[in-house]
Amino acid sequence: MNETVVLKDLQINAGDNILVNKTSIVIEEGEIFGLVGESGSGKTLTAKAIINLLPKGLSYSADEIITAGKNMLTSSAEEKKEHIGKNIGYIPQNTVFYLHPMIKIKNQIGDGYVYHMHKTKKEALEKAESLLYKVGFKYPKIVLNYYPWQLSGGMRQRCNIAMALMNDPKLIIADEPTTALDSTVQRQVMDLFRTINEEMKLSILLISHNLGLVKHYSHSLAVMYAGQIVESGYTNTVFSNPKHPYTKLLIEIIPSFKIKKDERLAEIPGIAAENGRDIKGCVFFKRCPKAMDICKEMVAEHIDDKHDHYYRCNLE
Amino acid sequence: MLSYILDRLKSSIVVLFVVSVITFFVLMIIPGNPAQLILGTDATPEAIQELHAAMGLDRPLYQQYLSWLLDLFTLDMGSSYVYGESVTALIARSIPVTFSISIFAMVMSVFIAFLFGIISAIKKNSIADYFSRSIMQLGAAIPSFWIGMVFIVYFGIKLRILPVSGFVPIEQSFAGFIKSILLPSVVLAIGEVGTLLRIIRSSMLDSLKQDYMDMARVKGLSTGKTYIKYALRGALTAPLTIIGMQFAKLAGGTVVVETIFALPGLGRMVLTAVEHRDIVLLQGLVMFITSTVIIITLIVDISVMYLNPRIKSFQQGEL
Amino acid sequence: MRKNISLILGIILVLIIIAVWVLSFVYMPYPPNEMNIPDKFLKPSIDSEHILGTDNFGRDILSRIMYGSRNVLLVGIGSVTLGTLLGIFLGAVAAMKRFANTIIMRIMDGLMAFPGILLAMMLVAVLERGIQGSIIAISIFMVPVFSRLVYSMILDTEALLYIKAAKSYGSSRKQIFLRHYIPAMLPRLITQFTSAIGSAVMIETSLSFLGLGIQPPYASWGLMLSESRQFFLSYPYLAVAPGIAIIITVLGFNLIGDGLNDILINRGNSNE
Repeated sequence: MNETVVLKDLQINAGDNILVNKTSIVIEEGEIFGLVGESGSGKTLTAKAIINLLPKGLSYSADEIITAGKNMLTSSAEEKKEHIGKNIGYIPQNTVFYLHPMIKIKNQIGDGYVYHMHKTKKEALEKAESLLYKVGFKYPKIVLNYYPWQLSGGMRQRCNIAMALMNDPKLIIADEPTTALDSTVQRQVMDLFRTINEEMKLSILLISHNLGLVKHYSHSLAVMYAGQIVESGYTNTVFSNPKHPYTKLLIEIIPSFKIKKDERLAEIPGIAAENGRDIKGCVFFKRCPKAMDICKEMVAEHIDDKHDHYYRCNLE
Repeated sequence: MLSYILDRLKSSIVVLFVVSVITFFVLMIIPGNPAQLILGTDATPEAIQELHAAMGLDRPLYQQYLSWLLDLFTLDMGSSYVYGESVTALIARSIPVTFSISIFAMVMSVFIAFLFGIISAIKKNSIADYFSRSIMQLGAAIPSFWIGMVFIVYFGIKLRILPVSGFVPIEQSFAGFIKSILLPSVVLAIGEVGTLLRIIRSSMLDSLKQDYMDMARVKGLSTGKTYIKYALRGALTAPLTIIGMQFAKLAGGTVVVETIFALPGLGRMVLTAVEHRDIVLLQGLVMFITSTVIIITLIVDISVMYLNPRIKSFQQGEL
Repeated sequence: MRKNISLILGIILVLIIIAVWVLSFVYMPYPPNEMNIPDKFLKPSIDSEHILGTDNFGRDILSRIMYGSRNVLLVGIGSVTLGTLLGIFLGAVAAMKRFANTIIMRIMDGLMAFPGILLAMMLVAVLERGIQGSIIAISIFMVPVFSRLVYSMILDTEALLYIKAAKSYGSSRKQIFLRHYIPAMLPRLITQFTSAIGSAVMIETSLSFLGLGIQPPYASWGLMLSESRQFFLSYPYLAVAPGIAIIITVLGFNLIGDGLNDILINRGNSNE
């Protein structure tokens, strides 16, 4: 089996505070993997750990981090930098300052390509043009001559996607790619991701707090809560048979057109805790409608090998 | 963009006008009869009266102001009491001196400030960082005349490699010119480099926090490219503005250095004018220096705006 | 806290100078202006009667430094206080009376266009040299900065929502001003005030050096430096004490200003 990403037992700390704990993910080649969770659940940090992009104040450790075939834990800084530059594309959540506001698109979209692939600027611009066309721009040449602030949010996002594709990466990490966009553009961008995934056979790590989005577009997913993965598996499996109370609640609260007129939208009361994520018991204990006393002390881990379905819960 | 330029132009003109009013009227308050100053203590009252009238000093003040202002447009700033020459000529002679040391000082200051400012920001809180910042605090607190004197003794007398005073025009000898402006410029630069370094460091720190730095890191670009193309580019606006301001300030603030090093520049001339209460010379000098400051500031502001492409007009269409 | 070395160092330095100042009223080794020609040009040494040596007139340098601190601090702090008060007044008027606004601000712009030393020299030319002249000249130099600051702060505070809230439930103008405006403006005013003292001392010293400030026989550090110029080649020690005194004072106030700036303004936004 060809795995694009293997992450085992990741832990991220900020000083004494544990932010992400015991997190393991496997992303297969050519699959779209959804990472779901509330704000603050640790999804972005997990993704950044995979590509060595964690901010300086944080420390991390893991049993294994294999990204696009290379072992991140045993590689030198230089090797990591080169490997990631060549094989990973990163599309951030916030589009406003990701592209440098003082530099024209044409002068920043291709520099990674020139550097890693040893191409000329002219070749880079040609490729950029074709990619911009692919992501939906009718007149790529004009876009190249623009500054980022001359484009709308959706356009900038598409530029980011094109830029991420320049080196024919094996993995794309899309962090909340649609949150800052309006709904019609969201649809366009997500369809674009699907097309890229199918045509170019590259893996996508799709991070989102929108379970509806993940349901529709991902092959596998993992649900994170308070820095831990509480459930993961094939999307179909998890949705047809959710095991963890948190997952069940999330599925319930997906708004749909079928809501009756005055019915309240469901919500999960409380907020995720920032501290105390390293407790032995279940992290969801305080908010879980099905919590039992034993959940304070320990949490059972279940792995259903047949369907690759994993969850951490004391319920069956 | 254009409207911005016009706006700044308009306010600069207003400020120039206010400056001219302040300059003229404040200096008119100086006690003493100019005619008497010129003729000396043993002149007869009639002679004084005659000269007084001839100089137009018995007209109402506002008239004197207007005629002075009008004359300014033809670059006629009157005759100095002390030197007896036209103020314009005196100023013209002194400009090269002041501007040479100001420009040279700015060049040195910019070079050092960028070098240490960038390093300080990248290696924040390292030894190098604390070192740079201490130097910068110290530099701002050292009186220029003090360090000037120290330099003179050390370099001029003990080591005998640099001249102790005097200005050598560039036409006369290039080496001589450089030698004569080196110490004064260094002294001036010491005063300015600290502020500039702090701004550069601060801007760089802000720039390094931005999202586009993530982009550069993920792309795995070379260190040089990452820092210069991306980090520095985003950090230039504030430093450039400050550089402009500093240069303008230097143009007007070289008195002390010129005095110590006996350089016949604008600042020294101001001192002479103040000591002798040479109103005409003083009015001309102050007006010239301050106008230069205002114009330089204006040019700098417009250039900074120009370099920052976000201000240029929006165009958007079907893409 | 390692965090505020600036502030701590600054306070220490300023306290040193204040100590010297206080001491000058209580005990000076010698009368600062007493000339003692036979003892002139004594080098500084710990076991001599004149710790810091004597100058060309045989006057004790240590005493003159102490005596000079009086004038330097008087001009420095006095001028800034005057300038601040006037600046606050003008800034407030400009902010609250719209018709006066343009005029006042334009004049302030004009004043700010003059390079510092130049303005001071120009005013001294008019006002007569000496302590009074220096104080007035430097305070006029300080006015535009403070008036601009107060003006913009008042406008900013006015726009804050909680002021509108206060007005809407009927607090009187005076109440609002005291309870809301002043606390909002105080941090920046204090920071600016301290930094301004550093600049003021610098300008005063320069003026005295040029002969336009404090006049002999009074002592000022700038004056001492200028007097030492002629003899500097043979007796360099003459310039050391006044120079260091100036550096300590200016550095001290500047550091306090920076330290305060970090605490009061950059809370949480540490770029230092």
